[in-house]
Amino acid sequence: MRTPDETGLETADPSKSLDDGQLEAPSPPAFERGPLVLTGVGALVGAIFAGVSTSDFMAHLDRQVHAIHCSFIPGAGRELGESGCKAVMLSPYSSFFRESFWGGVPVSLWALATFAFLAYRAWLLVWNQRASRAETGFLWLATALPVAMSVLYGVLSVAKVGATCKVCVGIYVSSALVFAGAAWAHRKNPAPPDLSPDFGRLARWFAEGVAFVLVLTLTYLATAPSGDPKAALQGCGTLVSGDDPAQVMLPLPSGKGGEPAIEVLDPLCPACKAFDERLSASDLKRRLELKAVLFPLDNTCNWMVTEALHPGACAVSEALLCAAGLGSGPKDEKAATELLAWAFKNQESLRALAAKDEPALRQKLETNFPAVKGCLGSALVKNKLTKSLRWAVANAIPVLTPQLFVGNSRMCDEDSDLGLEFTLSKMLSKAGQKAREKVKASPRAAKEGTP
Amino acid sequence: MTSASRTVTAFMVALLVPVVLVTAWAGAAGRRLRESSSATKDVAVASASNDSYCTPTLKAIIRRVAGACGLIEGGGGGRGCQPMEAKKVAALSGDDFNALFKPLSKRAEIIQFDLGKAELDPEAIAAVEKAWSDQRGASFFFVVSRASPDGAADFNETLSRDRAKAVLGHLGEKFKDEDLKNQVGLLWLGEQYAQLGDEFCGWNRSRTAACTAQDINRSAFVAWIDCAL
Repeated sequence: MRTPDETGLETADPSKSLDDGQLEAPSPPAFERGPLVLTGVGALVGAIFAGVSTSDFMAHLDRQVHAIHCSFIPGAGRELGESGCKAVMLSPYSSFFRESFWGGVPVSLWALATFAFLAYRAWLLVWNQRASRAETGFLWLATALPVAMSVLYGVLSVAKVGATCKVCVGIYVSSALVFAGAAWAHRKNPAPPDLSPDFGRLARWFAEGVAFVLVLTLTYLATAPSGDPKAALQGCGTLVSGDDPAQVMLPLPSGKGGEPAIEVLDPLCPACKAFDERLSASDLKRRLELKAVLFPLDNTCNWMVTEALHPGACAVSEALLCAAGLGSGPKDEKAATELLAWAFKNQESLRALAAKDEPALRQKLETNFPAVKGCLGSALVKNKLTKSLRWAVANAIPVLTPQLFVGNSRMCDEDSDLGLEFTLSKMLSKAGQKAREKVKASPRAAKEGTP
Repeated sequence: MTSASRTVTAFMVALLVPVVLVTAWAGAAGRRLRESSSATKDVAVASASNDSYCTPTLKAIIRRVAGACGLIEGGGGGRGCQPMEAKKVAALSGDDFNALFKPLSKRAEIIQFDLGKAELDPEAIAAVEKAWSDQRGASFFFVVSRASPDGAADFNETLSRDRAKAVLGHLGEKFKDEDLKNQVGLLWLGEQYAQLGDEFCGWNRSRTAACTAQDINRSAFVAWIDCAL
């Protein structure tokens, strides 16, 4: 039996639930819409922020570089350069199952699913113009999830990534808004308390929420481009020889006894810093015995570039070689690691200082690392740095940084950010080892010094 | 509209909108990935220097000199070139031979010696090390030593050879570099060929005192050659 309600809209018999038509206690009286509208608006804003973030993440599934949104205004502020949003997006915390799927499943997709679900619940209650206390209570409880995740990700962002993302802040604020709105709606709900809660209905609402997450995740996995499986296994190109006759390689902290790997890096290159952070955050680093070859993109010492892309990189590279030791004995890993970490941390100021006054940078290096005094700028270390660059020539590697070689195989550039864990796990797998063994060195690579 | 149909409608709209968006974003990324996979990627590859002064003629001469000096596999020469051989492989007049090195005015060092001596003084050592450490992308390091026309020609030939060897000996001792044998070419010219004019006094020298044509020929000219052969 149906009767018109107070607003003139046809609705179910007041003795029935508005939600599923089952018989239950008398329908709750009308309530204030304001708190639920606030919850619904907060959920929509959160969904827009999460959608923007997911869209930016998914744009990178084409393995190219894109501008990403970084603004408190949803959809505004597209930036190509480095930003907190980019750092967060490329961090290992931005997605799950990275070793199983290229890039993993973005956490923002689940945020989108959650906000879409909350928007659905909130606007449904507004549309129905009434809600039981169980409904508003469930909504309040559900909004605790984005709040908890916001707190967790806020802490991770600051403590682990060292950057904050404006779009993420938008999500955090939206989470707080929906939580506050839902709490207010529940508090202002004039309906009598449910003395005997219907767990069946609670389970169904919960299942709806799970369905949002599952359907979106499955849609993502079914439609996301998978890329070239061969490139993931064997990489893009090989070294002529991973040997180090001139002893230019620096040991890096990694798993001893793991697969030999070489990271070609420039200590003042932002992409190298970001790559190092991603690699360090990955458990897979422990399966690599990692060494660094310095390749400063600075024409002060590197003839392969026409300008100082990273001013001061030659001086810092010299300091690294000095710190590690120029002799034929074991390298000082600790000293080199400390200096590299310092250089990564102060990249921007070091580049600015070198662009203005290169000797001042050398002075700063000697002040902060007195052990390099007497070595920095000497003929011996300059010669060593040249040897490092000529290692690159002997192996005919591309003029760019960073590059990672697992064994003798070069990880494809497009796999070194979001696809790092996926590709590295594939390269380190048994199938990857077999595939890499089959690949021969590029015929372009010539023995150094041979005409 | 019943509450049940409102529920279904709201559920479907709220679910379908993000599903459609995710499908569209994935489709766009997939299309771009396919397009980029078929595109050619041009990336510079690390290589030795090949400076603009490395004309085909210069390269041909360097190849012949380097081959005769044993720097190129199968070149037939041994370490060090005899004065007449250098003239033969270069097939140039002395002035033309010297002109080959003029583009190196900023990179070369002229290591000066005392009359009748082949010992490196501290300034000479510093200059040799400076020149060697400025290799950059160059593949060959030439040491072209001379003697001033004081004394017998035979003595001067031996003297210029000793001067070249003094430079090589110091490099070997200081840098202990395996590449020395592949990269350093020694040419001792004695007093017979390609004497330097006093205009070379204006180049980077190990000594700052006033310089005459005789002084500048008691020397070893050292420089990396930025030519990829």
